[in-house]
Order: sequence, then C-alpha cells, then structure tokens
Amino acid sequence: MSALIDSLAIEARLPADDHVEVRRRAHKMLLKHGFPDIKTEAWKYTSLRVLEKRAFSDHLPGSNVLPELPFAATVLHFDNGLLNANDLNLPDGVTLEPQSGAQLDAVDHGDRAGAFGWLNLARFEQAWQLRIEGQLEQPLVLVISTAEDFHGDVHPRLAIELAAGAKAQIIEVHGDCGEGLVNIVQDIVLEQSANLHHLISRQSAQSAWIQRSHVKVAGDADYRFHTLDRGGRLTRHDLAVHLTASGAHAEIDGTVLVNDRQHVDFHTAIDHEVGHTNSRESFRILADGSGVGVFNGRIHIQRGADDSHSDLNTANLLLSEAARINAKPELEIYAEEVTASHGATIGQLEDQALFYLRSRGIPADQASALLKQGFAAAPFENIESGPVRDWLLGVLNNVI
Amino acid sequence: MLKINNLKVAVNGKEILKGLDLEVGPGELHAIMGPNGSGKSTLGYALAGRDGYDITDGSVEFEGQDLSELEPEERAAAGLFLAFQYPVEIPGVNNAYFLRAALNAQRKARGEEEVDSMTFLKTVRESIKTLKMDEGLLKRAVNEGFSGGEKKRNEIVQMAVLQPKLAILDETDSGLDIDALKLVAEGINGLRDGKRSFVVITHYQRLLDYLTPDRVHVLSDGRIVESGGKELSHRLEAEGYAFLEESAA
Ligand SMILES: Nc1ncnc2c1ncn2[C@@H]1O[C@H](COP(=O)(O)OP(=O)(O)O)[C@@H](O)[C@H]1O
Ligand SMILES: [Mg+2]
Repeated sequence: MSALIDSLAIEARLPADDHVEVRRRAHKMLLKHGFPDIKTEAWKYTSLRVLEKRAFSDHLPGSNVLPELPFAATVLHFDNGLLNANDLNLPDGVTLEPQSGAQLDAVDHGDRAGAFGWLNLARFEQAWQLRIEGQLEQPLVLVISTAEDFHGDVHPRLAIELAAGAKAQIIEVHGDCGEGLVNIVQDIVLEQSANLHHLISRQSAQSAWIQRSHVKVAGDADYRFHTLDRGGRLTRHDLAVHLTASGAHAEIDGTVLVNDRQHVDFHTAIDHEVGHTNSRESFRILADGSGVGVFNGRIHIQRGADDSHSDLNTANLLLSEAARINAKPELEIYAEEVTASHGATIGQLEDQALFYLRSRGIPADQASALLKQGFAAAPFENIESGPVRDWLLGVLNNVI
Repeated sequence: MLKINNLKVAVNGKEILKGLDLEVGPGELHAIMGPNGSGKSTLGYALAGRDGYDITDGSVEFEGQDLSELEPEERAAAGLFLAFQYPVEIPGVNNAYFLRAALNAQRKARGEEEVDSMTFLKTVRESIKTLKMDEGLLKRAVNEGFSGGEKKRNEIVQMAVLQPKLAILDETDSGLDIDALKLVAEGINGLRDGKRSFVVITHYQRLLDYLTPDRVHVLSDGRIVESGGKELSHRLEAEGYAFLEESAA
C-alpha cells in the first residue's frame, strides 16, 4: 500500500501554496484507510497491481497537440494534467477560479473505497472551480492528455457549477501516450433547473486513469452523461449522481470497449434522495481479446423518495474466450410507489445476423465489425443529431 | 445457371435434404412448393452457405462453379441472393448504410468500382418507390421495428439494388396482404430480363398468379417429388398436399 504512495513522484513538485494543510490532512486519511484491494467490495474485480509495479518519475509540463474536433468549442487543455489558465478565452457567463481553502477543507472522500479521492487531495497541483451561468452556445471541451514521455502522476481537481437555469455541454477528451497515473476528481453541481450534458471520450494506452465524479442535481435540473471508453491498461471511473430535489433527472449512457490486456471498470451510483426524481441508465461493454470490462450500476431509492422512477439496463458482448465481463445492476429501494426496472445480459455476436450480412456480400470481418458498431452505438442514439454525435460515432467506428 | 444434383444436406447431424435434383436455366423462374418442414428453407440456406447446413452428398453448381467451395459473401458477389423467410433485425446498423456496404463489397469482390452515395441513393429510392415503402425506413436500423410486410418488401428492395443473377425468394409472400403481394410480384417481374433467374419458394399459389413460372416443383421430405408447369400449382391449391402421400405410398 504505502509502496504505491511512496512510488508516486509528484510530491516534489507540489506548490507551496495555501493548501499545504489540506494536503497533509488528506495524506493522513489516505494512510489511515489505505488503498483498496480485492477484498474491498467495490474493487473486487479491479486490482492495482499494475500501478504498484510501476516506477513513476517526475514530469515536465507537457507539449501535447490538441486533438482535432469537427465542431466549434471552447477548449481547456489539461496538458499533462495541468491547465494553463493564462490565455483562456472563456465565453460570457463562464468563470474559472482556483478552489477556495474552505471548499477544500470540507472535502470528504470516505473510506478505503475513496482512497484515490484522498490521494488526489493530497497531491493536487491545481484545483479549479468552473462556474457557468446562462446558456452556452458552444460546448466546453476539457482535453486531458499526457505526453509520450510521461511517467508521472497527476491529480487534476475540478469543480463545475451550473447556476440556476444554466445550460451547457461539457465534453471531456482523455488520452495518453505515457505510462503514468491520471487521477481525476470532479465535483459537479447543477442548481435549480440547470441542464448539463456531460460527455467523456477516452482512449488510454498504458497510463492508469482513475476518475471520481460526484454530481449533485437540484430540483427540475437535468444531468445527462455519455461515455465512450475505448479501453486502457487500467481505467476506473466512479460516477455518483445525487438527485436531491423533486423533479431532478439523470440519464447515464455508456459504452466500453476493451481488448487485449485492457481493464476498464465503471462504478455508477444514482441516489434518489427525495421523491419525484427520475433516472435512466444504459451501459454496454464489448470485451475482446483478453480484455476485462466491469460495470456496477447501483440505484438507491431512499426511504420517502416516493413516486420515483428508475430504469437500468446493461447489455454486454463477450467477443472472445479470454475476455471477461462483470456487469451487475444493484437496486436498493426503500420508498413506495416506485417503478424501478433493470436488466442485464451478456451475449455474443449472433450467428444469424452475421450470416444475414454475409449473404448480402459483406465479408465476415466487416460483418462482425458492423454488428459490433451497431451494438456499441446504441447508447449514443439519444444524443441530439449533429456534429457532436457524428464525431462520437466516427471515433467509435474508427476503433471497431 | 443453377444445377443441383442429388443434393443431401444435414442440419445438426439430421438429414433434411435427401437427394434433391433441380436445374434452373438463365431467365427462368421456378416455383418450389411443399408442406411445412419439407426442407424448402433448408435448400435456401444451403445454397446461400449458412454455417451448419452441411452438404453431405451431391453437388451444386452455379454458373459452372461449385458453390460448396464459396463463402456466403463470395456466393453473393457471384450473383446469388436469398430473400429470407424471416429477415433478421440488425440493431444499430443503418439500413441505407448496410445496403450500400453490401453493394460495394460485392462490387469490390468483382473488381468493379464502388458506387458513390448519390448514385446509390437514387437507385434505392427508385426501388423503395416501386414497393411503395416509406423512405424513412432507410434511416432506421436494418429491419428493426419493421412490420412483417415491411421486412418482406425490404428484402425485395435489397434484391433490386444488388441485382443478383439468381434470386431465391423464401416465402416472401407469406403474411402479405393482397396489395403488398402485388407490389412484391411487380418487384420481381420488374427484374425479369430474360437472363436473371428466380427460385420462388411459396406455400400458396396466389403469388404465382402474378408471376409466370416456367416450372413448378413440389418438395416433400427433402426431395423434389413432382415437377410440372403452372397447372401443378393449381392442382396443389385445389387438392392440397395430400396426394403426395398417396403417390409416396
Ligand atoms: N437449425 C435447425 N436445427 C434442427 N433442425 C432444423 C433446423 N432447421 C430446420 N430444421 C428441420 O429441418 C426440417 C426442414 O425445415 P425447413 O427447411 O425450415 O422446412 P420448410 O422451409 O419447408 O418449412 C424441419 O424438420 C425442421 O425441423
Ligand atoms: Mg421455410
């Protein structure tokens, strides 16, 4: 355990800012709880061995090229995890500031299962607060990338706040070339009637990506999440959404593709804290080669959260004998007058469908690619048609 | 065009076709009728090359080529088309995209140039119009949520776009109302050009009223037991398949 924390390299670079105490407290919490191991329920399918064996080294700020996007956007580039905030040209209604000491003092990442949250708080270089008011016309794109020679660890910390009635689309584009650790913590707040479409497209090579997103949705606010995860050596995303007032609504859609020696683990939790809250979730994993895909979707409808509705569905494709998928819905319902449905399937490509395509002249390889693409694209069908969806589907079809 | 000689096909180790002979010349339309379970769909699948439909004996030649040596997609590129009795739903795969991919894959395999999307769309739209289908179906996933009749007509649209040399239509008429049936017949007749051949598998004689079959065959228990002209289909309609058992006995 402490071997992992000792092997991290970033400590040397930490700024002597106002947050020294915050980091010290977080470090203590981390030492107290330790990192999760396979005996930790929420981590039983995801081992940290890959990380423990890694030698991290200090890194310089990167010089990554930005990916080209086929739509107009405001881009924030976290280059090797660090945002250069100097030449940002933010649209009206958007402000970006460092998080305050009080804000950071209040952070609680819980026990061992939240160890990477504590680690982030112990080692962050920057902690940003992004506030959005009004309706943004262009998407905000957060590019988080690492350079080829990156063997370090970075701990981006970002709070996002949508003011009452605000509307935005935030697209995260994650990619790496090195062998480091990118450990992200996000705190997202949607105030009354706000509307956020939050999208992540990630393709990771050898780096480990750990992400914790904590989302609070106020009354009549609407949180939509889409993720397209194209695999990585070790990727873990914990997404927790809290529906905190009547009329709050959340939808989570995701597709994960894993192939040889890749491991991607998504743990989502939707918490219906009060009545008249709705959620829908659909998640798909396509596992090929010796890839491992994990999905755990928890729905919690609290006592008194009556007249709430949730629907959770996970459909998965096992494409090789060595691949593994663990996909599990987890419903906990303590309220009344609730409708909650869930389903989970793991299957293979259908012979019938393959034959149908081949009988039309489509070669076997292309036929199975088409079927996989069709299967993988389903969670994105509910994105409004336009350049963002086309881009995402293009990205998807490129990897299958 | 098609020469089937003493064809035996086993499915899951069970012999279904038990020595079937059939010869279809260029430009001809043959009808195959027969009771449920007699092996009609098995014949279609075996010709199209479905996995698990093992040819255990006999031979199938398509334009002088041994079909059993070709993969399904190679058979398609060679000019063979099977309209499925139960067209398959392909979630998430766009109908127009699929059809263009199929056409271009076939053309590529034949060393022909691919068609651009404009030319392609023009061709599909014509077929869609002929079959009085909704153009919106092009944007939907292949067969997903299509009504039974739409699925069958979609098979004919595919046939019209892919322009096969030999089309095998497996009960494309089942479940169609009379108007749809006429449209399907029109679709078939529109493609008859003196060279293209058809094997029309059907349960009822009513589709044949709108087509002019050169030969009608009766398939029973894995063999062709009777062949004749159009009058044979009328006799089957009137007498049912009962007489088969008498002649078999
Ligand atoms: N996949 C299969 N596995 C086992 N038996 C099959 C399979 N497909 C067809 N059969 C059997 O083969 C016989 C012929 O079926 P089929 O060709 O579908 O007849 P038809 O199309 O004339 O109604 C039937 O007895 C059917 O039960
Ligand atoms: Mg049949």
